[in-house]
Amino acid sequence: MSSGKKMWSAALLATAVLAVTAACGSGSGGGETADGKIKLRFSYWGSDARQKMTEEAIKKFEAKNPTIDVEGEFSDWASYYETLSTKVAGSDAPDVMSLEIRGLREYADRGTLADVTGKVNTADIDAKVLATGAIDGKQYAIPTGVNAFSLIVNKALVEQSKAELPDDKTWTWDDYVALANKITAGSGGKVIGTQLSWNPAYLQIYATQKGEQFYNGNKLGVTPATIKEWWSIMQNLIKGKGAPDAAKSAEIGATSIDQSLLGTNTGAMGMWWSNQLGAATKASGQQLDLLRMPKIKGATVGGMFTQPAMFYSASSKTEHAAEAAKFIDFMINDPEAGAIILSDRGLPASSKVLAAVRDKLPEADQKTLTFLEENKSELSDPPAAPPKGSSATEDIITRYSEEVMFGRMTPDDAAQKLITEVNASIAG
Amino acid sequence: MTEVSVAVKPRRAVPEPARGGHRSTKRSRREARAAYLFLAPWFVGLLVITIGPIFASLYLSFTDYSLLEEAKWIGFDNYIKMFTEDDRFLNSLQVTTVYVIVSVPLQLAFALALALVLDRGLRGLSFYRSIFYLPSLLGGSVAIAILWRKVFGADGLVNAVLAMFGIEGPGWVGHPDYALGTLILLHVWTFGAPMIIFLAGLRQIPSSYYEAASVDGAGKWRQFRSITIPLLTPIIFFNLVLELIKSFQSFTQAFIVSGGKGGPADSTLFYTLYLYLEGFKNYDMGYAAAMAWVLLLIIAGLTGVNFLASKYWVFYGDTK
Repeated sequence: MSSGKKMWSAALLATAVLAVTAACGSGSGGGETADGKIKLRFSYWGSDARQKMTEEAIKKFEAKNPTIDVEGEFSDWASYYETLSTKVAGSDAPDVMSLEIRGLREYADRGTLADVTGKVNTADIDAKVLATGAIDGKQYAIPTGVNAFSLIVNKALVEQSKAELPDDKTWTWDDYVALANKITAGSGGKVIGTQLSWNPAYLQIYATQKGEQFYNGNKLGVTPATIKEWWSIMQNLIKGKGAPDAAKSAEIGATSIDQSLLGTNTGAMGMWWSNQLGAATKASGQQLDLLRMPKIKGATVGGMFTQPAMFYSASSKTEHAAEAAKFIDFMINDPEAGAIILSDRGLPASSKVLAAVRDKLPEADQKTLTFLEENKSELSDPPAAPPKGSSATEDIITRYSEEVMFGRMTPDDAAQKLITEVNASIAG
Repeated sequence: MTEVSVAVKPRRAVPEPARGGHRSTKRSRREARAAYLFLAPWFVGLLVITIGPIFASLYLSFTDYSLLEEAKWIGFDNYIKMFTEDDRFLNSLQVTTVYVIVSVPLQLAFALALALVLDRGLRGLSFYRSIFYLPSLLGGSVAIAILWRKVFGADGLVNAVLAMFGIEGPGWVGHPDYALGTLILLHVWTFGAPMIIFLAGLRQIPSSYYEAASVDGAGKWRQFRSITIPLLTPIIFFNLVLELIKSFQSFTQAFIVSGGKGGPADSTLFYTLYLYLEGFKNYDMGYAAAMAWVLLLIIAGLTGVNFLASKYWVFYGDTK
């Protein structure tokens, strides 16, 4: 008798364990929830503050659309694409995904995204900005808001270091290097002039001033000569002590803006995307301002450009394409959503939303907005989404730049290898 | 409760008739079925979570797989590319090899030295043992790696101490000539685990050997060389195999200290870090899978060589 009972309980236990294992495996599929609502999954990355805002916006959307239940899938930036690509690989893609411009073609060119032309109202978005989310005439992504890569400066620290800010409408790269060197010298080394940046946007601005396109179709359009000239700016900064030496630069280059020279008030300048102004201001606790990037002597264009901070895309595999488009439309166009999200995803792309929330924006963002508006006529068109495989570009530029700064490679050799490697990455 | 005790008794009784040669009585078959039923969850886990993915990764290593699209069969292309075109791969192999060759012997030497000191029966031995073991528990963690960044940074603790002596130190983690050194140091610092094993091994050596040796007039060094080392070789061998495998797979330290990129200038691009970057950052999972298999072969090969070589230097008391 006892053995029969034992068998019974064993079978029960095994079933229970298997059930648990199976439940873990299946995860949450799309579809409908128990109460007949349509379930929509929305993935995004960011800080805790962003999560709170987004959840609030989702609640508002659900109140307006009682038949839809939106489930936010949130992760930090560092692991965002890993998680997302794994979900896509497992045929478990979220219905709506947030993407940034470097990831756009990686996903769109692989058939992961749905064309939302005509399904989301885009009438209030600047046509050129909107075009960055379109590939071969298909609108795969809707930009949330825009940024410009610019120079952030701590004017007080510049003055304390007995240096003077030149007019940023006319200043040249030589002026920039001279100013940075002067700041370090004037403060006795307590405040460093600037910190090096290897952001592709910086090289892109420089290349545009030289009349070169950054990506020319499926190739890097920047010439070796331009890359070498660009490196010489940084070499001169290190030589003149306007920037920390190569080792310290590599070290702080790997940290966030909170720990940057500017963020810790040990440096007077630095280059970032304009939406970072808020974070930098918060970290430093002092007044920070945006400046135009310096120009090459005699250049006719400044090369600065606005670029969408983020996009919303719908999955090509979603079973609820209409609802997904509706949610994207709400996040982009509804002033109520705009009032919650404010400039968290860039200065709102929709001019209507921007006008509605303008006065509610934090001070740093109002500054950015004014800066972009004053600059509008000088800005170049937003570049098209970079080709598939361009995710690696930033790391490649950083690597060869470091080789040159440490003197481990000649600029000639490094520039050539940089171009070859970026091209190989894009082609492959 | 009584149910349980009843259930246990017959199970103990079963192996005896089985050993006696009665193979498939009704009862033992039922017992076997129950056993398999109980083992089922584990088997399912083994198949689904371990064996399945292993074969999947072997298949993927012969494909071009971006994670976002279907995998495309490309034969040996990934493996060929690795050894003919990819300088970063060769560099990562070199970086990892240097790391292993330098850090493992250093770490083991350190562990043995401290085990010898602790074995002399200090008062508060268990306290010291715990203290020295602590880094092993923490060493692979993210927190320690972040701390390491700070300590060896341009404005870090190490340079602050050097400055007291008037030496201006470089940014250790930011300089390609030194960054790998800081990681090696971090690994050596986690000597606690092999140290504990050495300690246990030292305790196994009968003290009568030392007494006999000292009666014969052997000094401390002689005793160490002729008694301690030979009798400890099985333990040294065990630690060596374990640490070699572990350090070839190091990832966290390099990932955190270099900010996830293996920089500066690829000087800390560990094999596994490059594998991760290719798979998850550059959407080349097929290539990453191929790298994983090459790593498996490298480690298996090294361990095999290790075992073969062990015949010539490891002394098992019972073989002679």
